[in-house]
Parts: sequence; structure tokens; C-alpha cells
Amino acid sequence: MSLFRTLAPVLALAVGFFLGGSIQSSAQQGPLRITISDGVIEPLPFAVPQFIPENGASSDYATQITQVIAADLSGTGLFREIPASAYISRVSNFDAPVAYEDWKAINAQALITGAVSTSGNKIFVKFRLFDVFSGQQMGEGLQFAGTLATWRRMAHKVSDAVYSRITGEGPYFDSRVVFVSESGPKNQRQKRLAVMDYDGANLAYLTDSSSIVLAPRFSPTSNQILFTSYESGFPRIYLMDIGSMRVQALAQQKGTMTFAPRFSPDGRKVVFSLERGGNSDIYQLDIGSGQTRQLTNAPSIETAPSFSPDGSQIVFESDRSGTQQIYVMSAAGGDAVRISGGAGRYSTPVWSPQGDYIAFTKQNAGRFHIGVMRADGSEERLLTASFLDEGPTWAPNGRVIMFTRETAGVGGRPSLFAVDISGRNLRQVMTDGPASDPAWSPLLP
Amino acid sequence: MTTGQIVSAVGHLCLLLWIVIGDWLFSPEKMPEVTVAEVSLMNSSEFDELVKASPAPAPSEPVKEKELVEPSAKPVVTDPVEPPPAVEDIPEDVPVLDAFQPIETPNPVAPIADTEQPIPVAPSDVKPKPRPLDRVAAVPVDSSTDAPDVADVATPEASDEAAPDAPVVEKEPPAAPEEATTQIVTEAVETEDNAPQLPAMASLPPRSRPKNLIKPEKPLKEEVASAKPASKKARDDLVADAIAAAVADAATEETTDAGEANAPSGPPMTGAETDAMRVAVQACWNVGALSMEALRTTVVVGFSVNQNGKPDAASIHLVSSDGGSDVSTGQAFEAARRAIIRCGSKGFPLPKDKYEQWKEIELVFDPNGMRMR
Repeated sequence: MSLFRTLAPVLALAVGFFLGGSIQSSAQQGPLRITISDGVIEPLPFAVPQFIPENGASSDYATQITQVIAADLSGTGLFREIPASAYISRVSNFDAPVAYEDWKAINAQALITGAVSTSGNKIFVKFRLFDVFSGQQMGEGLQFAGTLATWRRMAHKVSDAVYSRITGEGPYFDSRVVFVSESGPKNQRQKRLAVMDYDGANLAYLTDSSSIVLAPRFSPTSNQILFTSYESGFPRIYLMDIGSMRVQALAQQKGTMTFAPRFSPDGRKVVFSLERGGNSDIYQLDIGSGQTRQLTNAPSIETAPSFSPDGSQIVFESDRSGTQQIYVMSAAGGDAVRISGGAGRYSTPVWSPQGDYIAFTKQNAGRFHIGVMRADGSEERLLTASFLDEGPTWAPNGRVIMFTRETAGVGGRPSLFAVDISGRNLRQVMTDGPASDPAWSPLLP
Repeated sequence: MTTGQIVSAVGHLCLLLWIVIGDWLFSPEKMPEVTVAEVSLMNSSEFDELVKASPAPAPSEPVKEKELVEPSAKPVVTDPVEPPPAVEDIPEDVPVLDAFQPIETPNPVAPIADTEQPIPVAPSDVKPKPRPLDRVAAVPVDSSTDAPDVADVATPEASDEAAPDAPVVEKEPPAAPEEATTQIVTEAVETEDNAPQLPAMASLPPRSRPKNLIKPEKPLKEEVASAKPASKKARDDLVADAIAAAVADAATEETTDAGEANAPSGPPMTGAETDAMRVAVQACWNVGALSMEALRTTVVVGFSVNQNGKPDAASIHLVSSDGGSDVSTGQAFEAARRAIIRCGSKGFPLPKDKYEQWKEIELVFDPNGMRMR
């Protein structure tokens, strides 16, 4: 009996484990639940068989439109095109049923089929998008119509629809970029304004090389451009109407210099820097009335203002603390709050179209970076690093940033680069020659 | 007096004192009283007469069999009614007949607990269910072989007692996955499109540690702790109750297993098994094409799995979501669905003998840790 008493706790423990084990087997109620918190980050494989020409005249367009779509999607870094040589199925009819198994076999996760037809000066492009592994069509099929001259825009429209349906991001392929095209030796550069499709196509020059131009900015409707020119010998801001090519000087005040202009979200106002007597402050101009209003009043240099998407705040750079840092203030002016806090100098802040991030240029330890941070300065991340990176501009969907990268040395030249805000897919944007100061337009109507 | 004499004198004095009062101070534990039976002596002639007087037994075989059956039937009928608490614990909605049946069988166990003698009882009845060991070793158990023996032991009281403890122990398996996940990697898979090669990945360093691991089991501690507080007086009763509960629980389990002969459930999923499933899915879970908002959206996706381990694509559905808009939830769900279908096309690496455990699965896809990778 005493032995039993001595062993009782041990026995109870054993029984406890025993009991636990036996309960365990019959305990699971409901589905087995497993948490997946790690996956893979790689481009999504897609197949885009050549769009079907529905009449003889549309054959070339069908080929080119297919190529543009493939290039758009692959260029994001989020998608990977499966070469046509790997295809098992051939799509010969736009309405033919999809052989999902054939596309699964080559691991195509998305399939884009389409057809092109022309009629006189009109072109029609239609497409369908399929989720191969679930065997379902994603969204409805769409058709775009336009003139023959706009076939690239229609290809971009198809790409935008596919991109948005798969990623959930807003579209951005059907957009344009204005920038400064440069030529000549480094110490005697000639600069002129140029505009192109986001992918470098359809390049057009807006000014000649007679005077230096800087920092062009699209209006919210993409039909006007603000820029800074040295035409008068001093920097001064101008407004260009793209349709008529008419240029108008803004905020002319004797003995001052104006620069770094940017539109308000509604397009009715312009914020810019005005230098007077060696001191730069931020001003606001009402385009309709021509009235200006001073927003900052400090003995330091305040410049590079940018509105928040809702127009309620302005982010800008200032050296009031001794070095260039980023500040946020109300759009009506007043006290500013410094949001940059890391080592180095911060400049050229630009608010994302979505309002969630602010892109900036950072100089630290002899290197330049493009980075992003939250509007309160948190979550700062540097996306690039090089000899000279500067001047970020946001894509219309706030997912991609384009900027200027200049190489070192006497033969160094500026060029345009783009990077995903995750820091992936850094790539050069093709231009005819050296290029700088890009500004992305909103999505075209 | 020399020192030796002093020591000797003191020693002898102590000895004398012990002899005189030692028995009173250090009385030994009283031995249990011995029952004395009176015995009378008889000689051989008296014994012979006694034997002659008694009738000689002449049992026939059929009668023997009948006698053997009767005693076994007797306790079955009478004993169940005796313990009143057992009848009180039976739920009202349980038919009386059903309630009686289970109560009949535990009779062999109850007396054992009353007599506080675990030795003859526990080994014989509890041994057939060494499941805890099997579960730890992840060895499937053929429940059908044990079922007939233990099924008769099941009692409603025992199963009712075990039920509240069930969720407690249920959480034991998730603890293992946490350890195992630190050794599982998906990075290598990024270069491959196809299904994961588990052995190869297992040797690679982890890319990140999963956040939402299921809570480690604390119930087991509680289970043990519940035995501790028992007072010395109640200790023996507690042990007896625990043994009875364990035996009853085993009976419940075996009954359940026996009733589902065509759907093997087996022991619960081990950490390694759930990890294998996790790795298989995450190898195909590609978030590279998701929007930033979708990368902040956690979705719970439920689906049915066929016995061959392949998911039923038509059953894949969104259970719940957190952290995103409808659009981003849709994107996150589609990415999850692609992962399930892609990597499940050849069947998930799930133990077939535990089909009941994984015939319905809910996967929690949490991309937050991958957003800025």
C-alpha cells in the first residue's frame, strides 16, 4: 500500500499523458488548419499566343500588338512570358474553347487570347484572360476600338486590363513621360523637353535646344506641362499647352528666380520655389487669377514642393535644420513637421498618387539613393544606390518609380531608370540619348 | 574517569533509556490487524466419514457451458444499475437503453479503483491502448484490431469527462510544426516552377519564420497540474479516477474508430506531416504578382481533399480575409487558389491513414512577412 502511495504521483502523471494522447486522436474537430506565411516571389508565367487577325489587313497589327502586350507585362518584372516555341496548343479561333491541360503542361498560369480586325482607319482589338490552373476566365472579355495610329495605346490598354486583373494594382501602361533630353559634352550640355510613351515609344520634342530647361511636370489632365527654363538668363517657370505648344511665363516678379513648379491635384494651382535676395521660400500660384501666396517664411532654402493626392498637405525639402531634410506642412502653409530622420541628406520628395508613400532622393556616404517612406517618415526604405540617382517620379498606379541615374566620369551620361517600389525589377528605360528629369503623366483617358 | 569511561557510561545510559521509553516514543507503525479464524482439529477417521457423507459431483459438459455463461451474464445486468452517479451523469437525451449498455462494462474497473489496487487492473485493461507512444512516434495504428476488445468498456460518463479535455490535447501537434518550420525553406524553390523537392529543401536555411504558428500546447501541463493539487487523502481516489477515465477514454476512441472502418482516421497529424503540407503549398504560392495591398491581405481558404491527396478544385472557397479591400482579397484568394491547384495536382504529401484528419483543410495565407522581401 505504501508503495502504491509513493508511486501514485508518477502513476497519475503517466495516466495524464496517456489520457492526453488518447484524447488527442479524437480531438480534431473541423478542418485541418495550417498557416502559410512563406511563399515564393517570382514572375508569374503567362502565355500570349499571337492575336488572331480577323482580316488580311490586320495581320501586322495583330503581330505587333501581341508583342507590345508581352513586352508590357514582362517589363514589370511581375510576369514572365512563356516563349511561343513551348506552346502545345495553338489558338486559331478567338472563340474556341481553351485546352487548359495543354497550357498547364507548360506551366502557363495566365493565358491571354485576342483578335484584331481593321475597318478603314479603324482598328478593333479584343481579348480574353484565363486563369489556367483554375480553368476559369478572369473577368469579361473586352474590346477596344480606335484609329490605326493609336494601335499601341490599344495594346497598352489590353496590358493594363490584364495587369490589373491579376495583380490588383491600378493600370499604368497607357501613360506618357515627359523628360529632358540631353545632348553634347558633359560640360556643355544642350537640353530640350521631350515626351514619349512610358516604354520609350512615340518620342516627340517639345522645345529646341536654345535654352536650358529643367524639371518638367505634367498637369493632372496631361494636356499641360510646367517646366523651368533659363530662356531669360535666370530660372523661371513656364506653362506649356501641349496641344497648341503655346508657352506662358508664370509668377514673374522682378529680381526673383522661380523654379521647381508642380501642379495641385485639381490642376488649378501651382506650388513653386521663389528666390529673393538669396533666400528661397515656397509659394502658391492660382493659375486662373495669377495671385501668389507665400507658404513658408524661413531664412533657409525651401524647395521641391509636392502636393498630397488630396491636396491638403505639401511635402518639401528644407535645410532649416542645417542639412537638407524633408518636411510636411498644410497646403495653406504654417508650421512644418520634419519627417526624415536618418543619416544623410534628403531631397526632391514626391507624394505617391495613392498617398501611401513619399519618394525621395537621399545622399549619404558618397552614394545617392532613391527611397520611399510613409508620410509620417516611418518605414523608410532605400530602393537604389549608385554614383548619382535623383529626381523620382511615380507611375500613375504608385507601384513603379522612374528616376535619373548618371554614371561617373567625364564620359558619364544621365539616363532614365525605373524600379518597383519593392526594390525589385530595376531596369533602364530606353531613350534615344541621354535623358534626365522624368515626370510620369497620369493614366491617359 | 577517563574519556572512554565517560563515553561508555553515556552510551549505556542512552541504551537503557531507549529500552525503557523507546517503545513509547518510537512506536512502530501498527501492522494491520490479522483476522483470526478458529480452527478445530480432526483425525483421519473423522475426515474419511466427512468425505463419504458428501455427494460425488458428476457434471455433464452441456451443463458446464451453461453455468459458465450465466455468471458472465449476471454482472452485466446487475452492476450497471448499482453506481448511482453513473446514471445521474447521463444526459437526458440519451436513451435509457444506450445509457445502460456502457455502464455495464466498466464493472471490472470500478471495483479495482475501490480496492485501491492498481496492479491487477491497469495493466490488463489499459495496455491495449498505448496510443500516446504511437502518436509521438508518428506510427499509424490499426485501430480496427483493438476495437473489439475495448469497445465494450466504453461508458458515457467517461466520454463526457474526456470531452472537455479534448481541445487541450488537440493543440499538441502544432507545437512540433513550429520547430520543424525553422528547417524548412522555400527559397530554393524560387528557381523551379514545379512541385517542391522536399528532401532538397529541408537542408536549406529558412527564408523567414512563420508568424502565425498555432499555439503550443499548454493543456498538457494543465492535465498534469490537475493531478498535483490532489490532497493526500484524495490522492488514491484521484489515481483511481484517472485510470478509470483513461480506460473509458480509450474505449471511446476505439469505439469511434471501429465505427468508421472505411474512413481511416489514425492518429493526429504530426508536426512533420503538417510541415510537409505547408512546404508543398508554399512552394507554389507565388505572391510576386500581387499588389502591395494584396500583400497586406491574409486570406483563409478552405477546400476538400480527395483520398488520393488531390484537392477538389470546385470546393476551394474563401473562408475569411483580413487586412484588405474586396479587390485585394480577390487577388490574394486567386493566388492562393492557384497555389493549391498547382501543387495539389499530383496530390499533397498527406498520410493516407489519417484521411479523416485532412479531408477538409483550411489554409491561412499570410503574406505580411513577404511584402518587402
